[in-house]
Amino acid sequence: MTLPESPRGAHLRVTGVRLPAADAFRLNEMGIRRGTLAHVTQHAAFGGRVIAVAGSRYALDAQTAALIDVEHVEPLG
Amino acid sequence: MSCHGNASVPAPIRSGTATATGPDALPVLLVGGPNVGKSTLFNALTGARQRTTNAPGTTVELATGTWRTAAGSTGDSAVERMILDLPGTYSLLARSSDELVTADAVRDLAQSFAELSSQAGVVVVVMDATALPRSLYLLAQVAETGVPLVVALTMLDLAVGASDSPRAALEPDALAAALAAPLGVPVVPVDARHRAAGGLSALALAVNDVAAHPRRVTGIGAPRAVADVGQDLAHAETLFAWVERVTAQVTTCLGPGSGWAPDTSGQRVHRTYSDRVDTVLLNPWAGIPVFLGVVWLLFELTTKFAAPLQALISHLVNGPLASAVTSALGLVGLGDSWVRGLLVDGLLVGVGTVLTFLPVMAVMFAALGVLEDSGYLARAAFVADRAMRSLGLDGRALLPLIVGFGCNLPALAATRTLPHARQRLLTGLLIPLTSCSARLTVYVLLAGAFFPAHAGTVIFAMYLVSVMLVLGAGLVLRRSVFRDVRAEPLILVLPAYQRPHLRTLGMSVRMRLGAFVAGAGKIIVVTMLAIWVLMAFPATGQHALGQVPVADSLYGRAASDIAPVLAPAGFGNDHAAAALITGFVAKEVVVGSFAQSYAVAKPPDAARAGGLGEQLRVSFDESSGGHGGAAALAFMVFVLAYTPCVATLAEQRRLFGWRPTASALLAQLAGAWVLAVLVFQVGVRL
Repeated sequence: MTLPESPRGAHLRVTGVRLPAADAFRLNEMGIRRGTLAHVTQHAAFGGRVIAVAGSRYALDAQTAALIDVEHVEPLG
Repeated sequence: MSCHGNASVPAPIRSGTATATGPDALPVLLVGGPNVGKSTLFNALTGARQRTTNAPGTTVELATGTWRTAAGSTGDSAVERMILDLPGTYSLLARSSDELVTADAVRDLAQSFAELSSQAGVVVVVMDATALPRSLYLLAQVAETGVPLVVALTMLDLAVGASDSPRAALEPDALAAALAAPLGVPVVPVDARHRAAGGLSALALAVNDVAAHPRRVTGIGAPRAVADVGQDLAHAETLFAWVERVTAQVTTCLGPGSGWAPDTSGQRVHRTYSDRVDTVLLNPWAGIPVFLGVVWLLFELTTKFAAPLQALISHLVNGPLASAVTSALGLVGLGDSWVRGLLVDGLLVGVGTVLTFLPVMAVMFAALGVLEDSGYLARAAFVADRAMRSLGLDGRALLPLIVGFGCNLPALAATRTLPHARQRLLTGLLIPLTSCSARLTVYVLLAGAFFPAHAGTVIFAMYLVSVMLVLGAGLVLRRSVFRDVRAEPLILVLPAYQRPHLRTLGMSVRMRLGAFVAGAGKIIVVTMLAIWVLMAFPATGQHALGQVPVADSLYGRAASDIAPVLAPAGFGNDHAAAALITGFVAKEVVVGSFAQSYAVAKPPDAARAGGLGEQLRVSFDESSGGHGGAAALAFMVFVLAYTPCVATLAEQRRLFGWRPTASALLAQLAGAWVLAVLVFQVGVRL
């Protein structure tokens, strides 16, 4: 499943990033990498997504979001 | 593990716990990610003692200043340091010229430190308390270079936990202490937005302390060159692992329920205040109208709001001040001499031009500051991203391009919000093609004179042509000299919404206005003086210096020489050529130039040109062989495309340098001529 397919409010775990290597590396440096837990906080215009990761909010355009694979997780508490 | 200071782990420095023994000439580099409060800290540390320059050999803007630390209560002496606010970056593995400036500055300092030991300088790594894992990664990269460093911890007021409960709010000292323990370097909580709440003195003491007694970050390997840092993912993984270890230690120190970094453990995330605001501002249906409303507001502020102030300044300079200078010169017998012309019609007009632009620039700088500090600018980039993607530009580029339709000059100022130098340059070169409101007076005059029944349609068409020119030129540039500018994946960190801080905003506006006056202002004044010289010196006839009819002046000669070049476009007459030369200075005076050259009164309303309209029809009909309408259309297209005003050119030169500015000017002149000829030649055949 990819990020755009996840509903708003979903809790996710990143299972893969299929961006070009340099872009994927920068995403890793910014804190989004395989195993990262994320939460979808907003669906924006043109398919953009906002996710919460470790206290930060990241805005991703539709094309980028579509290249991030995720799986649903049940939040604790 | 202990959370608090022992012999090897410094406690967070809040007051005079260190001795100011550092040499005062050592530079301090501020390094941090975008939107971590780095520039706010810089402003608080330097006050008015700052200026902006471009990094050597680049168009990347740097702020440098003097950090004057007061004598402390512990008897340490006052120290002055040079401080540099480096471009924000998430990593020292640079992906843009802006990030490269930061990486190079850290590398140079590391090299100096390796050669000079403790006499090199200090890096202050500004870390966002709301995003410690990301900040820790950059800290690890900086620490690997071996430079002496201090951590300044910002955004503590926003560092609330996922539970959003009052209990989750962190005590600044608690987080700083929890962080200082695993890092082994000073961690200073700072609140630069409220100087009294401070941390600034403590930061000064920490910097002095580290300059005198450098120490390494715990758990980070031996010094290595920046170029080697994280070249492959495997190395980055070791830094990620270090970040996770430190994060875990901090979380353990703060205890469960502290609310810090909870979602790394998979707990339920509660919506913050910013999330709730974003529900509206990033809503698929509401987000775009809100963005357009913000742009409309900017447009109004830089045109209608600033206009009365501009008119007042213009009135004062050209009225009372010019009269006073003339009277003073009269007292010493120079009232009718060329000296009066030079001072009043040349120098004073130039200075007046610079002064009249100050309100519009101040308004733009302030508005951008509000958008940036509030956190909305990042949202604007996200909302407008789709529109600019075809040009390979960041969504933020849409904002200056729209503002350009009001005035090109503040639009150039707005390019500073773009994160990459090449994107700023590309946007800055496209802005002159946006049809500013000054050009509107020319359209109104000619459309009213030649197409009175369809004037509105003609003017609307000019704006469509402008949009097409921006898109066309953007696509051509992207496929030629800007092939390196590509549409990158949009991955934006959205800062939490904050109320802009007026003092910081005021200081930023003052610094940027100063840079505008010092950079572009000088060029504007010199250009105005050059125009006066052209008008004051006779090319033909026996005239005293400064008493030359326009037709006999060097200016008139230049217009006559240029006119034949314009003949293929149908407006090869002296009047049009002279108006175009004047339009280079300012498009607002093209109508006045026409009136002057036809020796008729300038119409109070360009739409009702009266005698001037008749004169225009006669001369355009003559120069076009009876196709005055086609020539007028060609003239309007030429005015739209041939060159921005001298103030815009001067600002372009200040921001991007001579070469891009001159190249763009030549390309625009050539492009405008081709377009105008095309319009005229097609027009006469229809």
